[in-house]
Amino acid sequence: MKPLSGIRIADFTVHNAGPFCTHLLSQLGAEVVKIESAMRPDAFRKPHPVYGRMGPATFDQVASTKLSVRINLKKPDGAELAKKIVRISDVAAESFRPKVMDRLGLGYDALKAVKDDIVMLSVSSSGQSGPDSHFAGYAPLFGAWGGLGELTGYEDGPPVEIRHVMDHTVGMNAATAVVAALHHRRATGRGSYVDVAAREVAASLIGEALLLAAAGGEPKRIGNAHPGMAPHGVYPAKGEDRWISIAVRTDAEWQALAGLISHNGLAEEQRFANVASRLANAAELDRIVGDWTATKDANEAAEQLQAAGVAAHASWTTPEIAADPHLHARKAIVDVAEPDGTIRAAVGVPMRLSKGEEIGIHRGTPKLGEHEDYVYGELLGLTKAERQALEDTEVIY
Amino acid sequence: MSNAPLTGLRVVARASGVAAAYAARLLGTMGAELTLAEPPQGTPLRREPPFLTDGVSALFAYLAAGARSRVCDLQGEDGRATLAALLSEADIFIDDTPVVERAALGLDEASLAAKHPDLVHVSVLPFGAYGPKADWKAEDINVQHSSSEGNLLPNGLAVEMFPDRPPLKIYGHFGEMQGGIAAALGALSALWARDEVGGQFVDIASQDAGLAVGAFAIQRLGDGSIEHRVERSFRYGGVIPCADGYLEMLTLEQRQWEGLVKLLGEPEWALDPALEDSLERSRRGPELNRHIREWALTRNVDEIVEAGQKLSVPLARYKTPAEILRDPQERHRGLFQPVEVDGAGMLDMLVSPFHFDGKPLPLRSGPPALGEYRSKVEA
Repeated sequence: MKPLSGIRIADFTVHNAGPFCTHLLSQLGAEVVKIESAMRPDAFRKPHPVYGRMGPATFDQVASTKLSVRINLKKPDGAELAKKIVRISDVAAESFRPKVMDRLGLGYDALKAVKDDIVMLSVSSSGQSGPDSHFAGYAPLFGAWGGLGELTGYEDGPPVEIRHVMDHTVGMNAATAVVAALHHRRATGRGSYVDVAAREVAASLIGEALLLAAAGGEPKRIGNAHPGMAPHGVYPAKGEDRWISIAVRTDAEWQALAGLISHNGLAEEQRFANVASRLANAAELDRIVGDWTATKDANEAAEQLQAAGVAAHASWTTPEIAADPHLHARKAIVDVAEPDGTIRAAVGVPMRLSKGEEIGIHRGTPKLGEHEDYVYGELLGLTKAERQALEDTEVIY
Repeated sequence: MSNAPLTGLRVVARASGVAAAYAARLLGTMGAELTLAEPPQGTPLRREPPFLTDGVSALFAYLAAGARSRVCDLQGEDGRATLAALLSEADIFIDDTPVVERAALGLDEASLAAKHPDLVHVSVLPFGAYGPKADWKAEDINVQHSSSEGNLLPNGLAVEMFPDRPPLKIYGHFGEMQGGIAAALGALSALWARDEVGGQFVDIASQDAGLAVGAFAIQRLGDGSIEHRVERSFRYGGVIPCADGYLEMLTLEQRQWEGLVKLLGEPEWALDPALEDSLERSRRGPELNRHIREWALTRNVDEIVEAGQKLSVPLARYKTPAEILRDPQERHRGLFQPVEVDGAGMLDMLVSPFHFDGKPLPLRSGPPALGEYRSKVEA
């Protein structure tokens, strides 16, 4: 069995952050029932010109492995049908703007009334409470509110937009909080309401800088530099737009790197002898290291540096990541089949477990309403006539 | 009654890096009793910048808040016995000792499984404990460049201004913290199945976790397009320089664009009927941005954001850490709580991005002194 086998999730989440949360939980074995409607299909079922996708996606990472049912939540009977799914679920997850679930009759109190120990998750931009709770937001705004965007950037440049990695780290945090709430239920018999604010997740990733500011410090953008390491950065490699990341923490690592560069007497130079002097002469060091890396293939140099005990990795493009034997061996990258049989790379669940059935993606994107026989028929025991009546009134729609 | 969901759980962490320590922090702030098993000289994280004052690490203070500390010198029998005693009472052990050093210290998967069959043993390393690169070293910058975003940033205004500069890492320990979050999730998931399968080994790689949160680039690859930091920028909006700082602007929906036109004062260029089409707006993005930037440059961020929010235009100020600390929203939410940090005094520290049952989580204390092991963790 997979670790979360037996857990069922009524999944009302939309966009990226919430669906990524339930995507992780589904890969860990939870049965996730994705609740959608033709009235308001999820983003991957329609074109997305902002990202250059002109038709529906044939495979959607965050929808894979989930079950799909249709419910028109705007109809009162739709909310009632959704509650029937919640009644047989352990978790209800949503990511609408605050108060939307209340308006639909699906707020925490309403769900608790049908399933007393339900764990309800709400993911939103600014949380369910406070003066900004009604703010709409997307990933780059979370990063801006939370300070991660302000601190990311070249020292003499503007802040930087943090993109979908921001959404997805919100989702991974939320998944962790949900499993914690399930442990709480197991220990106490009580459900709980979990409120995850995306901007707070962004802030949590710069906790040390916020603490520094609380002590009167002023953390600022530092590009690729590090306050305690030099050389530390991204250096040019041989070829067009090729780069390698290198980080030197100790004197021994510096000696190893200097030995590879084998510049006359570089390893002995006093101005680079310890961390303090290397930091003071970081610009000169960057020039020396960059001159050396510029003549090297990025991947070969990384291997050479690792063999010498220096932390280094080529700056990998997406195709390089997708082809990596290490990531494939770990099933961090997996091959999935499109409905027409085409094989493509997808991202697996970021962990390996020593026991139990293999975790990860085991089904592709569900068709809208693909699993209604199972959910409405087997799980809820609705008859064909009852289902037809709900379709006729556009509740199942 | 505490709202912390993991009350009663015991976690031991041997962490010399951010990823393992962050996993432990997540579990600790959610209520687990957390003990750091440190070498006699303390974890290297105690000596990691940035510093609050001389020798007081802000990074360690943040990562270790609420924990206890126990010195376990694994070079000697006593230290090993101390760790073994801690582990015999623990539910979860988080460790980032390099794989090659584990067997000699009795920390390898098989030894720990034999001695502590019910323990969830979580290994947290840059490239994991298994696979051809398991022995590779990495700092955060290397993690970011091996996984997803490293090569893809910066985008937007920064890459427009500096197209020839090297790619740029996300600030701080973003890549390592992804490993930590995945480790916390893995630990709790394995623990969930303990009644059925007993303890087990959870192998976490920060690279895998960074890749997971960057999954969208892999999905785009499958669709036949390769993301690049120059081309992936939003066509218009994005980072907008104003008179007194920067704001973020992103209008993905039609009504948001209409709100933006009103916010701009309905200038003639924006009323061009062709711009009602979202694809046309994308095509003419640089032209739109010239107008938007010219308009914003003479106005203050808060003035624009306040007016824009009323028109449902998604806008946000790029906030500094000091601004976040005093933001009414964060104050209302109780995101920060004062704790004592030895050598630096009482400081507001970020607790956790989660509320349980309508309340923020409680932070027990600041970071422990080396070997500070209170018999009972104060509530």
